[in-house]
Amino acid sequence: MTETVSTPQATMAAPPRRRNRMGAQEARMAFIFLLPSLLGFIAFMLFPIVASLAISFTNWQLISAPSFIGFANYQRLFTLDPAFFTVLGNTLFFTAEYLVLNIVVSLGLAVWISSLKRGHRWFRVIFFLPTFTPSIAASVVWLLIFTPGGFMDTVFQTLSLQVPNLLLDPKLAMQAVIIVTLWANVGYNMVLFNAALDLVPQSYLEAAKIDGANAWDRFWKIRLPLISPTVFFGTVMTAITSLQVFDQIYVVTRGGPGSATATLGFAIYQNGFGNYQMGYASALAWVMFLIIMALTALQFWLQRKWVHYDS
Amino acid sequence: MKTTAMLAAAALLGAALAGPAMAQDQPVTITWQMWGSDENDIAAWQHLADMVTEAHPEITVELQTTPWNDYWTKLPVLAASGQLADIVAMQSLRMPNFYSLLEPLDDRIEADGFDIDAFDASIIGGMSHDGVVYGLPYDVGPWMMFYNKDKFEEAGLALPQPGWTLDEFKQAAVALTKDGGFGFGVVPNGYSIFAAALGADYINDEGQLDLTSTSALAAADEFLGLVTQEKVAPLVASGANPGDVIAGRFESGNIAMMVDGPWSLISKRDTVQFEMGLAPLPRGEGDLRAVTAGSGFGISASSQNKDAAWKAIQVITGPEALKYLAEAGRALPARKAEQTYWFDVAAAGVEGAREALEYSLSHSATYEITNNWNAVENLFTQYYPLAMTGSQTPEETMQTIQSLAQSQ
Amino acid sequence: MTADALPTAAARPRRKQKNSRLRLFLDILNHGALTLVALVFLFPFFWMVSNAVRSDAEVLAVPPRLLPTEWQWQNFAEAWLHLPFGRFFFNSAIVAGGVTAITIVVSALAAYAFARLRFPGRDSIFVAYLGTLMIPQVMLVIPLFLIVNQLGWVNTYQGMILPMAFSSFGAFLLRQFFLSIPRELEEAALIDGASRLRILVSIIIPLSLPAIGLLALFTFIGQWNNFLWPLVVVNGMDYATLPLGLSMFQTEQGTSWNYIMAGAALSMLPGLVLAVVLQQVIYKGITVGAGFGGR
Repeated sequence: MTETVSTPQATMAAPPRRRNRMGAQEARMAFIFLLPSLLGFIAFMLFPIVASLAISFTNWQLISAPSFIGFANYQRLFTLDPAFFTVLGNTLFFTAEYLVLNIVVSLGLAVWISSLKRGHRWFRVIFFLPTFTPSIAASVVWLLIFTPGGFMDTVFQTLSLQVPNLLLDPKLAMQAVIIVTLWANVGYNMVLFNAALDLVPQSYLEAAKIDGANAWDRFWKIRLPLISPTVFFGTVMTAITSLQVFDQIYVVTRGGPGSATATLGFAIYQNGFGNYQMGYASALAWVMFLIIMALTALQFWLQRKWVHYDS
Repeated sequence: MKTTAMLAAAALLGAALAGPAMAQDQPVTITWQMWGSDENDIAAWQHLADMVTEAHPEITVELQTTPWNDYWTKLPVLAASGQLADIVAMQSLRMPNFYSLLEPLDDRIEADGFDIDAFDASIIGGMSHDGVVYGLPYDVGPWMMFYNKDKFEEAGLALPQPGWTLDEFKQAAVALTKDGGFGFGVVPNGYSIFAAALGADYINDEGQLDLTSTSALAAADEFLGLVTQEKVAPLVASGANPGDVIAGRFESGNIAMMVDGPWSLISKRDTVQFEMGLAPLPRGEGDLRAVTAGSGFGISASSQNKDAAWKAIQVITGPEALKYLAEAGRALPARKAEQTYWFDVAAAGVEGAREALEYSLSHSATYEITNNWNAVENLFTQYYPLAMTGSQTPEETMQTIQSLAQSQ
Repeated sequence: MTADALPTAAARPRRKQKNSRLRLFLDILNHGALTLVALVFLFPFFWMVSNAVRSDAEVLAVPPRLLPTEWQWQNFAEAWLHLPFGRFFFNSAIVAGGVTAITIVVSALAAYAFARLRFPGRDSIFVAYLGTLMIPQVMLVIPLFLIVNQLGWVNTYQGMILPMAFSSFGAFLLRQFFLSIPRELEEAALIDGASRLRILVSIIIPLSLPAIGLLALFTFIGQWNNFLWPLVVVNGMDYATLPLGLSMFQTEQGTSWNYIMAGAALSMLPGLVLAVVLQQVIYKGITVGAGFGGR
């Protein structure tokens, strides 16, 4: 995607032929730099991606030979499948709520940690711990906590609160998934934002303080704009991964109760590796891809409104 | 002259004798894919692989193991890329999904005069599809009722006996549900086993899922009613392995009865801190229909070494191999004659185990499942909790599952 | 960073004393509140360890006990010995380390090209790179397995490492970072005749240690916990990684809850050490200067 920064041209105005040669030289340099990445990209990314697109036009069921069926999978997706729009709705709902909560919480934690006098290192490690917990383990622990009759239920019972079990209520089950996913992932953005905050030059903040700006102003008018490229990166990555959410759902709710927590990521795995309908699952994956692309493009377009790059 | 002639004769004789043997002695290495979760597992299967080489020195079996849980994710990947091993381990519950990967064995059984009747009939059915045998079984297990003997005695109840009825079961469950404990644990996937035991039919004559038939709905009412009406079973959330959660609660003493198979008998017996008992499933009006499950080995249809694989699977499901597995407590043999070895090891210390097993096996029936049973089980896990909490009636839930299963 | 401070222009002892006491109180409150949040956040780990050291039967007791009746610290040793955990650790380290090393080198080169060099198709290729991040791994696993199988890399280290070492995440992360480094530094070097590679290695990389440290951390952890690809490409125990190992506690007999928790706790230790160590790299580099925010 194009950056909104305008790049300062070379100081000297070179005659056309030399500029072309420099341009060609630069392009060649770029090719060399890109080569390792491109080779790996073509071998291990491009081919599988093209293959999965091709598979989406077949009715491959893994154990038998595939046969071409044109757009039938996509048709089924949009018209025949009773679950698709529920799944789509669940995915968008999850992403909207999770993205907002993730950014707010991780940014909040990052700011809070940077406001401390001591102990930064330990707090960073603590909030980062869940990210390197193997997801099978994290999901099992939360399953034990949320299971009917488990820790959560016992706590609410002892406090005499009539809170329904999250996993049993179709309206609340998604919240359980959000809690687990937040716990497992805020560490990433928190570390990212914390690093970015620490990079904000003290001089700016001192100057603002002398001018009488309070902490609130200093955050909104100085620190946040200066770290906005990082926040943008975090938002884009988080949106991309949250639209694909699968691990936590697979262990904690299996898409239920009913189809309350069935998301696109889950539906793809379920159809592909659960019901062996690889062709249909591929079609689902490509529809999801288009949605993610659209959302990311939207975010890149919106960035000119709030992201400040160094110029 | 005489010596030369004698030597020549000896050479000819030797050549004549060696001839046919040499043709068979082409050394061949075949691969065997099997699930295995730890070194004891793997050692046991390796022992079986070595037994093949003892019986047929020209055959070497190379074992390839995958953790149990993930074997079924891996299998279609291997199939899709033409990487199936020569010998493929298969479970009866998944046979309808995967039979097309395996070689039909009927012709070989007939040609070699192989005694298929030495095996339990219900598991041969489990290893077949449309009446054609696709694998030789090594173990068989009827689903049975595991119970907490200590709790029964505390409540002053008579221990469950083979032939007990649904009403007797419900009475016991009610008496055992007190002080935060439950009498029974309902696992969504357990519906079909429970229904079969009661004599209900959830699959029609064409082999298609029919969850809305009268008897199927009646069984669902009974099964879900244990949670919603009699309240003798706890609520269960959808999620990974609700069966494991119920098993955990049984082991901790919170639930007094649960349904499971002999495959988990030994590890349960070693984990629980109370006296455990085993009984057949309760029956409905008629006789008990104890459905069984089991695992076995098939030959992959794309194998290049089918003859060697056929010899090998005969050995690893042969009497000696199954006796070994039984004495190691690893599997209840699918061969009827070898089953007694397992009782001596695994059933020791468990009240009524031998009687329960013998009764269940003598009332065994093939577990009827559809081609997409995997998907059906997932649907039960997802949707049954809605019926358990009362958001839907059992009938609505069964209809939902029925229509979703058909659109897969 | 302290809260608002009044200019200390005039000396007002009494007010200064009251202010510094107020500040101290607020500081303690600040730290204390965050500590409370951290404790709540840490609860699942407490639960993990608490369940790891109890007997399997107790894990699903209803109601659950906060602490085990009998502390079975030996479960850690038993989980370790029950399966070849040493081997799993080693394999996970090789795979995660290999992927991280390759990713950093490849991504740094590519990111520099995207951020600083101009060439036809630059932006389209970058969009394609971003696009690959939006395809779930689940869909790519089977075609990828077909390729790896053709190369004869099934059940080998290269089969586990190479297909995972070219994710566009690294190029994206580093490109964003490189973009915010002021160009003046490079332009001076260019005029002096330094090659682009030299610039990358001597100027850009040292300034980018925070981002590289972050990339290393994220990549290593992502690979340490990766489950699906090792599952598909590995057979048996020799090359199995930790997540596969943990999965082995779920057998057809049922789940050993306490062993899974014990194994999980053990498998987090290297990540913990790495996080603490890499923190130094990340945060020390920050004092050097340019970074995500810019000047």
